[in-house]
Amino acid sequence: MAKFEEGMEAMADAYVFETTSLLEQLDQVLMKTENESSFGEEEINEIFRTMHTIKGSSAMMGLDNMSKLAHAIEDMFYIIREDNPVISSMNDLYDLVFTASDLLKAEIELIQEDEYTATDFNEQIDKIHAFAAVLKGGGAAPAAAPAAAAPAAAPAQAAPEAASGTVSAADFTSVKVRFEEDCKMENLRAILVINRISDSCSKLEYSPADIETNGDTAQTIVNEGFEVNFCPASGVSIDEILDTIKNTPNVKDYEVMQRGSGASAAAADVDATSVRIHFEDDCKMENLRAVMVVSNVRDVCDSVTFEPADIESNPETAKVIAEDGFIVHFRSEKPQLVFQAIESTPSVKSYEVIDANAPAAPDEGTEEGAAAAAAAAAQAAPKPAAPAQSAAPAAPAAQAAPKPAAKPAAAPAASKPAAGGGGGGGAKQSLISVNLNKLDTLLDLVGEIVITEAMVTSNPDLKGLRLDNFQKSARQLRKLNGDLQDAVMSIRMVPVSGAFNKMTRIVRDMKVKLGKDVDLIFEGEETEVDKSIIDQLNDPLMHMVRNSMDHGIEENVEDRIAAGKSPKGKITLSAYNSSGEVIIVVADDGQGINPEAVLAKAERNGILSKPASEYTDKEIVNMIMLPGFSTNEQVTEYSGRGVGMDVVKKNIEKIGGTVSIESKYGEGSKFIIKIPLSLSIVDSMEITVGPSIFSIPINSICESFKVSPEQLVKDTSGREMIMLRGECYPLIRLYELYELEPVTEDLFEGIVILVETDGKRACLFADELIGEQQVVLKPFSPLLSNYNVKQNGMSGCSILGDGSITIILDVSNIVRDY
Amino acid sequence: MEENNNVAAPVDGDAAADIIDSSEVLSFSIGETIYGIEVIYVKDIITIEQITVVPKIPDHIKGVINIRGRVVPVISVRKRFGIEEIPYDDRTCIIVLEFDDGNQVGIIVDRVQEVISVDASDISNTPDSKNVNANRYIKSLINLESGIRLLIDCYKLINDDGSGV
Repeated sequence: MAKFEEGMEAMADAYVFETTSLLEQLDQVLMKTENESSFGEEEINEIFRTMHTIKGSSAMMGLDNMSKLAHAIEDMFYIIREDNPVISSMNDLYDLVFTASDLLKAEIELIQEDEYTATDFNEQIDKIHAFAAVLKGGGAAPAAAPAAAAPAAAPAQAAPEAASGTVSAADFTSVKVRFEEDCKMENLRAILVINRISDSCSKLEYSPADIETNGDTAQTIVNEGFEVNFCPASGVSIDEILDTIKNTPNVKDYEVMQRGSGASAAAADVDATSVRIHFEDDCKMENLRAVMVVSNVRDVCDSVTFEPADIESNPETAKVIAEDGFIVHFRSEKPQLVFQAIESTPSVKSYEVIDANAPAAPDEGTEEGAAAAAAAAAQAAPKPAAPAQSAAPAAPAAQAAPKPAAKPAAAPAASKPAAGGGGGGGAKQSLISVNLNKLDTLLDLVGEIVITEAMVTSNPDLKGLRLDNFQKSARQLRKLNGDLQDAVMSIRMVPVSGAFNKMTRIVRDMKVKLGKDVDLIFEGEETEVDKSIIDQLNDPLMHMVRNSMDHGIEENVEDRIAAGKSPKGKITLSAYNSSGEVIIVVADDGQGINPEAVLAKAERNGILSKPASEYTDKEIVNMIMLPGFSTNEQVTEYSGRGVGMDVVKKNIEKIGGTVSIESKYGEGSKFIIKIPLSLSIVDSMEITVGPSIFSIPINSICESFKVSPEQLVKDTSGREMIMLRGECYPLIRLYELYELEPVTEDLFEGIVILVETDGKRACLFADELIGEQQVVLKPFSPLLSNYNVKQNGMSGCSILGDGSITIILDVSNIVRDY
Repeated sequence: MEENNNVAAPVDGDAAADIIDSSEVLSFSIGETIYGIEVIYVKDIITIEQITVVPKIPDHIKGVINIRGRVVPVISVRKRFGIEEIPYDDRTCIIVLEFDDGNQVGIIVDRVQEVISVDASDISNTPDSKNVNANRYIKSLINLESGIRLLIDCYKLINDDGSGV
């Protein structure tokens, strides 16, 4: 990891994770809107919020370049959102945003390295600013923002100012913010304050002004405090902004030096719509649900007030809401969106639009209402202290009830407003993100438990004893262990859609560059695969999709039409489960692979091992996965270096999978990847060969049987074959293959196992079958891997219940040479 | 050399530990020769146990053993040094080595002797030889009053595949 600001290293992981997923989300939103070729309000907001969050968190991490780039895009979308300009060139806009997204992603990769120097994004930022200026249409030339030194910050502050018109000095509320002692980097914390309140202020100035660029301001802030002058945006009360300031991390306290007339702006709203919301009966904690409503509504419109007003700090309001409903006042040009937001909030039963211009203060005569009003009054006093303290003495009547509960309730709610303005939507999810290492450890432990269970239940000390109760408990243990294992595996399962979605981006870029029109279709993207496998899947998938785009789909649309195909190409990514494996298919309806060209090329490269005429089409097609094979004469930006398919094959084999190709010349090609569901726990059959125990994965076993003399066939060179139900299979004597001393060399005494892999079948000869067991695959030590154990058909080893070691056979490598 | 020994011998353990360039060495014997291996690499010493044969690997790797749930390959030092192997007896030991990357490897030795503290001045280089095969697993020589110990280079013992230079 690169060096971050002091104290920030611990957050680096979380930052990288969050930003990466935000950027992926961004790509998806962009892709969606590009397909529909229009921006919905929701999408604009989503992009805006994503960039806003990245800007904020990057600034926190001290990554100014990323923060500024994100800021530039945020500005641009601010203009798009507010001014709704006519966008002359959607393509330019997408290119700008996509490029920026790529730059940010690359930077995220970079900061994970030890040697990190910030990349200069100024060129891209300038481009975005230029584009944004065009969008603005030269109308309001970015007015010099009040005292903002950072150039990137200027348009953002200028924009709200332009929108709100002139504001007299008397309207300003002036606040001095102090941070906790020793919290360090006061200037960055000050930026955070500004970021948080900037959305709800129509005008915002602060001093020192150059906090974003000048690290020395940290000391100034410590000495003199951080001064913020603001005018609330219409519909936002001064108290709300003060609340936001107070809830910003590390803010110790603040002091109101001059109180403006911002509240009157809210009261002057004549267009306000009011809605009374009822929650489902018995849903509990109505006040917190109301907070969610407010946060959702804030996402779609700027000015929201609500009553009761103190839902975040006063749990007693839950009762009020349950009885009288929760009233939200908002002002929006598109109330429909707001209604949707309200409807989509969980636990909302119904809502009704009530009379506009309802008074903002809760004046019901209930005790709770009085307490709320008192608390609000206390906060409105010229020098409010911390909220809990002010609320308690001001409302002695209500003291008994709200005071003990107020503090704990305020804490969880405190982070909400920030989430509403920044990331948003977090409250709806019941997901957590966990470090993969922890899951790996968990899986290892489960593996150990599986082994230990076998050690206990089949302990040699128990042999010959009659232990009915023990057996009963052991069975129960086995069942629970099985469930535990399934649960752990299911935690690690992730849908392939993540890997698929990345392909939309590649197809989009290549569509533009290659000038081919292609539809990318997903099928079964909800199919789940182990996380460690999906990570290895990205590269191969990318290669194959590129291959299909570049070589598969025809260069000229005329060729497609002449072949009777739709002018638009089609690439299908599909995934499905099949007998313990996941099958992923990349199919295109392009020109297919020309077997003659492949064969000719193979002949030229001298990689044929038998006369050319003896090759089947299937064999020929699969030759393109041999190292250094590329039929494309020209190397393009995307493929044709002759390493692509070779790498695909290697990567897939690394995770225990296989690749095969089906192609019909003129009709298209199919790349079929088969990968195991999981890497580590394998159902297997134990066999013995002399002193050694081997495990054969169950999914590659067809059957096992004793051979009778008439089944044995020998060909002219003395190779043995087994005749089974009219089919002839080669016989592999494992003791010969592995140079072991067998118990028996007599074919009719031992046991024969018919195995199948990649459509190839063979018979393995072993001494004895021991039984079926789940084994935990442990890879060989690197010392052994150096000696081609894999190529010799051993994929790893495992420890059995009695502590002995079994070697897990990889049937495909054994059968390959026969 | 003589002087060094006189100084180092009486204070033994403590003096050696204080000097940066020295370390403790575990000594073991193969036949009549006594070798040493740096203690920092030694994870464990266990008596010989059932070794699971792994097919198609070089002769000097005898197979794998189960050490507390880990599958660890074991190397016969005799075979590695090209000395005739003898049947295992109750004093045959496996010294389990652990390297920086966390990999463990066991080495089979005839007898484990003792841990000795070595002073930097006790250590001398192996003599130059035109024969590249001579001393190729030996890092340096340790001169002690009781005789010379050959300090083994663990990495070479494990990694150099021994198929010839």
